[in-house]
Amino acid sequence: MAASLTPEDLDETQRAAIEELLFRMADDEYVQGERLIEWQIYAPTLESDLALANIAQDEFGHARLWYDLLEELGHTEAELIWERPADEFKHTTLVELPFEEGDWADVIVRCYLFDSAERLRLESLVDTSYAPLADRVGKALSEERYHLENAQSWLDRLTDGDSLEHVQDALERLFPHALSLFGEPEYEAEIVENGFRTDAIDDLRVEWLETVIPYLESLGLNVPDPDDAERPTPRGRDGTHTEHWDELAADFRKTYNELEAPEPARIGRERA
Amino acid sequence: MDLETVKERAGPRQFAPKDDMPEKYRKAATRMIQFHANSEVMGGYLEKPFIRQAPSIDRKLAFSAKVQDEIGHAQLLYRAAESLGIKTREEMLDELANGEGKFLNCFHYPMESWHEVPMIAFFVDGAAMHRQATLKNTSWTPYAHAMDKVCFEEGFHVKHGESILSELMNGSKATQEKTQEAFELWWPRIIQFFGPTNDKSVHNDFAQQVGLKTKSNDELRDTFLDTYVPKAEKYGLEIPEYPRIEYDEAEETYHVNEDDLDWDEFWTIAKNDSEGSHEQIGSRAHAQAAVEWVRESMDSWEQASNTGTPQAAD
Repeated sequence: MAASLTPEDLDETQRAAIEELLFRMADDEYVQGERLIEWQIYAPTLESDLALANIAQDEFGHARLWYDLLEELGHTEAELIWERPADEFKHTTLVELPFEEGDWADVIVRCYLFDSAERLRLESLVDTSYAPLADRVGKALSEERYHLENAQSWLDRLTDGDSLEHVQDALERLFPHALSLFGEPEYEAEIVENGFRTDAIDDLRVEWLETVIPYLESLGLNVPDPDDAERPTPRGRDGTHTEHWDELAADFRKTYNELEAPEPARIGRERA
Repeated sequence: MDLETVKERAGPRQFAPKDDMPEKYRKAATRMIQFHANSEVMGGYLEKPFIRQAPSIDRKLAFSAKVQDEIGHAQLLYRAAESLGIKTREEMLDELANGEGKFLNCFHYPMESWHEVPMIAFFVDGAAMHRQATLKNTSWTPYAHAMDKVCFEEGFHVKHGESILSELMNGSKATQEKTQEAFELWWPRIIQFFGPTNDKSVHNDFAQQVGLKTKSNDELRDTFLDTYVPKAEKYGLEIPEYPRIEYDEAEETYHVNEDDLDWDEFWTIAKNDSEGSHEQIGSRAHAQAAVEWVRESMDSWEQASNTGTPQAAD
């Protein structure tokens, strides 16, 4: 079925459902990008620095794709990124956690957990009924596949010796946060009924667990039991966040606030 | 090849790794290219916080691309330096971490606010472009090739820097004043980018004789001023009274009064001995030491894959 719905076609509930879907996607990508750039200049080698910078760049680019769709629905960049209350951001807490210095295992595990979920989410949007989204999913999906390859190639190497321990630590710390990746959205029923997403979130969650657990175990890692893992209280998806989020949000808004809310500059846009 | 032949043949892209170059040439070229490569890394270090602090998503993307480009340039340049057979990339990166590696004076100062960003992203990068454009004609071919790519990408960076400056100088009065303050702070450093005047430069003569450099420090500084003084004024910046800059009607070029510049500070920085040098070299070194375990793990992984581990033999 070709995607046919445009912003003008949406009733109020459909619009709320699409927005919830888009906010999650945009915020996930944006915040993931914000953390990954911390590694620029600090990665173990020039090559890994370039690869990760490239990935961070893609994540910001994807965030921009999804924020653009929210702009089509009447939002502005200022309210989406620069002025939205921090407790209205919908990203998973996985992406907002700070890195410990030198903890390259964290970035690799984080990228793997995030990118594997991202790939499933995007695949479930390939046949979306919402035309503006359908137009953009392909580009993001091809880039996410590369991100996943990068993460897996690192995981393969880092689990092959003494560094396995670092990876195990990171996994134990991050996995409970990653479980919020597939937390149920408020408008889940509408998202599925309207064909905005072609799979139910619970099915995506199951598929994700069935992908990541056997893979990680095959590397010699112990994966916490998803039903039994001690989950952090903030879940991200409902706007609740760890104590690290406010600090990060204040940091990326520092200049915007200093300059007293300038009109966000548009530059170097490729034509869509 | 002996030195006399090198000097006779010196010209754009005259020498390549297949040539048997005298050690003095190879050392001079290594020093110059390593300095350039180190500067890319340390420039990226300075600008990195502003990826996060950029005030629009487009600027954020442009800044993140820029820092990524700088690392790409460093990679290219270290390779061009390695091709001289004096030092390996690992040695050069170790030297940068342990404080022996030298880099541009401007990247020894901290950069704390967005108002300072165009001082690097427009003026320093503009100065770099100005110098690099002449290095497309350097005699060491791998260096010249690197410059082709670097100059192409730097063109975008400078344009973005100019757009930031323009935005700030069209901002509120307070923003304009802070930008002017940042300009006054950075202006002498930017002029010193081109190094000491010809008579005080240690390496200038030889580098020019063998074609590594095609323009002297003085020529580069003067022509930079010819272009950038009017640009600064165009955006409403006032050129500080000191260092005195005078327009030479006869030669139709600007000259700086070098006595007005703080050369003690410059030479302290050249020895990596300023407060900012310690801070910036130290932080990066610290971060690099923290991921030493990853490099070790990669080395052992590579050795294992090369020899075939018992587990892999199945």
